Amino acid sequence: MPVFFEKHPIWSLLIAIVVAVVLWLIFAPWPPGLVEVLGRKRVFLNATFGGITLGALYFLVASGFTLIFGLMRNVNLAHGSLYLLGGYIGFEVSEATGSWLIAFPVVFVIVAVLGMLLQHQVFRRMEGEELRQTMVTIGLSVVLADLMLWWWGGQSYTIYSPDWLSGPVTLPIVSTVRESGDIIYLRYPAVRIAILVAAIALGVGMWLLLNRTRLGMLIRAGVDDREMLAASGVRIQYVFLAVFAFGAGLAGIAGIVGGTFQSLSPGEDTRFLLASLVVVIVGGMGSIPGAAIGALVIGLSEQLGLVYAPTYSVVFTFLIMAGVLAFRPQGLLGRTR
Amino acid sequence: MAVIDNTDRSTAPEKASPGWFESVPTAAWALAAIMLIMPLLANDFILFQVFGWTFILGMIALSLMFLAGYGGMVSLIQMSVAALGGYMVAIFGTSGMTDISIGLPWWVFIPIAIVVATIFGTIVGALAVRTEGIYTIMITLAIASAFFYFTRQNYAIFNGYSGFNLIVPPQLFGVDWRSPMPFYYLTLVCAVLSYLLVVYVSRSPFGLALQGIRDNPRRMAALGYNVTAHRIAAYAFASAIASVGGILLVWQNAQISPGTAGIPAVIDILVIAVIGGIGRPIGPFIGALIYVLLRTFSPDVLTTFGMSGERFKLLIGLGFLALVFWSPDGVLGMWDRWKARRARRADPLTGETET
Amino acid sequence: MSALAVTEPAGRLESVSTGSALELRGITKMFGALAAIADVTMTVQSGERRAVLGSNGAGKTTLFNCVTGDFLPTSGTIRLFGEDVTTFPAHERVRRGLRRTYQISLLFGGLTVADNVYLACRGVSRGRFSLLRPRRGDPLLHRAEELIDAVNLSESAGTLVAELSYGQQRQLEIALALAGAPRLILFDEPAAGLSPTERAELIRILTSLPGHIGYVIIEHDMDVALRVAESVTMMHNGRVFKEGTPEEIENDPEVQALYLGGGHG
Repeated sequence: MPVFFEKHPIWSLLIAIVVAVVLWLIFAPWPPGLVEVLGRKRVFLNATFGGITLGALYFLVASGFTLIFGLMRNVNLAHGSLYLLGGYIGFEVSEATGSWLIAFPVVFVIVAVLGMLLQHQVFRRMEGEELRQTMVTIGLSVVLADLMLWWWGGQSYTIYSPDWLSGPVTLPIVSTVRESGDIIYLRYPAVRIAILVAAIALGVGMWLLLNRTRLGMLIRAGVDDREMLAASGVRIQYVFLAVFAFGAGLAGIAGIVGGTFQSLSPGEDTRFLLASLVVVIVGGMGSIPGAAIGALVIGLSEQLGLVYAPTYSVVFTFLIMAGVLAFRPQGLLGRTR
Repeated sequence: MAVIDNTDRSTAPEKASPGWFESVPTAAWALAAIMLIMPLLANDFILFQVFGWTFILGMIALSLMFLAGYGGMVSLIQMSVAALGGYMVAIFGTSGMTDISIGLPWWVFIPIAIVVATIFGTIVGALAVRTEGIYTIMITLAIASAFFYFTRQNYAIFNGYSGFNLIVPPQLFGVDWRSPMPFYYLTLVCAVLSYLLVVYVSRSPFGLALQGIRDNPRRMAALGYNVTAHRIAAYAFASAIASVGGILLVWQNAQISPGTAGIPAVIDILVIAVIGGIGRPIGPFIGALIYVLLRTFSPDVLTTFGMSGERFKLLIGLGFLALVFWSPDGVLGMWDRWKARRARRADPLTGETET
Repeated sequence: MSALAVTEPAGRLESVSTGSALELRGITKMFGALAAIADVTMTVQSGERRAVLGSNGAGKTTLFNCVTGDFLPTSGTIRLFGEDVTTFPAHERVRRGLRRTYQISLLFGGLTVADNVYLACRGVSRGRFSLLRPRRGDPLLHRAEELIDAVNLSESAGTLVAELSYGQQRQLEIALALAGAPRLILFDEPAAGLSPTERAELIRILTSLPGHIGYVIIEHDMDVALRVAESVTMMHNGRVFKEGTPEEIENDPEVQALYLGGGHG
């Protein structure tokens, strides 16, 4: 990071200013003039927090996607299907066992095994043929989507969060100041806070795994230079299997999360596939911190856009993507190849 | 057969100049003849639904084939470009949405539609070619979905969720171009022209350069070619073809809505091009015919086997997967291999083959 | 100008200046913290034939990549025929008369030999974006045939390049570099992997090039390098180590100790 400040003083300054303004907007009570322009602070806060939580969900989906892409050059267009499948299985498991938490390990294992099967039985056979692999994932997404429609039908499902996570918590953030002088603090659904915390923990965990362990070192080396990794005598197939399983499992877990605070229905698979695509294009292909930043940016722009310019919220997302492509085609934190 | 032969001879002189006349294989002439007399053989449903749709989807897939097969760029934006062309027809021509449609005459709105859609496709191309190879799929898919969501949310121009209806082709020369036989010939002519155009351009300096860029962009730059400009120009060329397909599509359906270029439709175009074979311009049309036949008749077949007719997608998906596994160059590739095998089995003395 | 140039369609040949063809001033290229080449300064006169020698990793190919515009140098300036082209894209440099061949054949495997050479001829002339097929009398088609002839590939003109033998691909590499109106060609190890007969053929092709075409050649085979070059630059660890005539370099004790060892002479 210090290198970044030295190299890009103007960018650093701009980023610092934006962060400061956002923090001020969140924590300070708003003066009346600002309320006139932007509406009530509660609305802004809700949109911001909604955006951050959505970003957390996008991060869960996109981090697996970007890892798989970075290491294996496999654009897994069935990633959204894994997400939706994970959600449906999570729904079934939590209905059957009555436990929300149990669904997580079960879904992770099931979807990860499916991912391993795909890698071992399908993609390994066409290594190096990036386009063909991508075609296969397209075919898989079509087939999986129809199988899921067959099994679970067209209605939408919601996974209920356990009692200890339902209901709001009060955050130490001022929402409104009444005329009487009472301070109203922001209340926000506990389950979303939990998701946010979990996503951050997961992100930090992945970062540690990638930067502090031997497996992580191998993966990073592979992202930078696959030939070198292959030539170094490492059983690269095992690394591939592990990463594919992990990425798929993450997508499955994200399905439970998405099914809890949104809903599951046909079409959600493409929605989350596209979210992953955009996040990864914006953040940089193959970069976990990039996925985090991309997810945050896209989540925020979607939610804020929905509140302040409902007709054009998609356009914001698109403009961000187009801008990144035009000025930094490798993504914000991507490497030039 | 006699009928076909006659037609063959009678159409040949007006279609061909003597130079390349001999180089066209007999099978192609026979095919052309069958296509020309098809209205005598087939009913209105086949003409309008099966062939009309095949030609239209084939043209849109052809534009993808041009980019992917010659340029090495698998673009998923082609359906969106086509849909934008269709939307322009609805907006600048006439439709049921009289508040939005301007109602210009056909000779104004058709060029507008083609130009606008081509510009859109070119801009997308300019964004997509900044990265290489496999990224193209991701970027074009992302932009295609942005287009879908935008048309669904925007009511001022695209009339949001419901889109436009009652869009019909202009009554030219007193012909109702939407009735089956005229529509069949209209789409046939457009499809054949775009096919011939692609075949012709593939051997022009531009087409050759594009193939050179596909094989080796770095070397092309070292030969003095502006690789980026060529790629963008390829997008422009392909988008023009796709936009014509889009105009025909909106006339066939008489309506257009965001779903026209939804993600499944976008993927379908890729599936069609790959099923047919992405290496040659005839591939997309073969793929489109297979797709349309499956789409039209698979519900009946599926119900006969006791399954729900809705499982059509499953069928297409499995077929696509099987092809990608065993014949990545599509049905055309299978055909080539089959011919090669047959040639190997042929008797070396008489040249005859066993069947 | 020579016979080769006369058959050219309107090129940029008219602007030929006498003097230096290539002028490098302090070229440095960093990959991360590693300097692949450091502070390389060298001048190649118009029509001069120069060999660049050095062990693997001496930075020779990187230097070529900087000159052709495949990489931007980290610092330094590149002048081509007197014009500063340091920040020009690759295709602009080609249009000023620069050509190169590649160590690993970079050809268009999906096209025929004739198409490959035709593309190369078209690359530096007008009509690169033409949608019209070349007519039968197109001078570029004729020119392409001549070039295919010059490198002995006439019999394979209709063959897909992917089906050529290795030696034939190397010959085609040279034909591509000769297309248009080259004034300076960079040959990157043209003799690598060739049989003795093919090497002799290569030397013949190189030495019979028209006098106004200069070249810089990277070559490990000293027999080839010293026979086709008038001057030699030795590189070591990304720096210019020695410059001189082939004889001077061959007899230089430092060079012998470092590179030639006992292997040569």
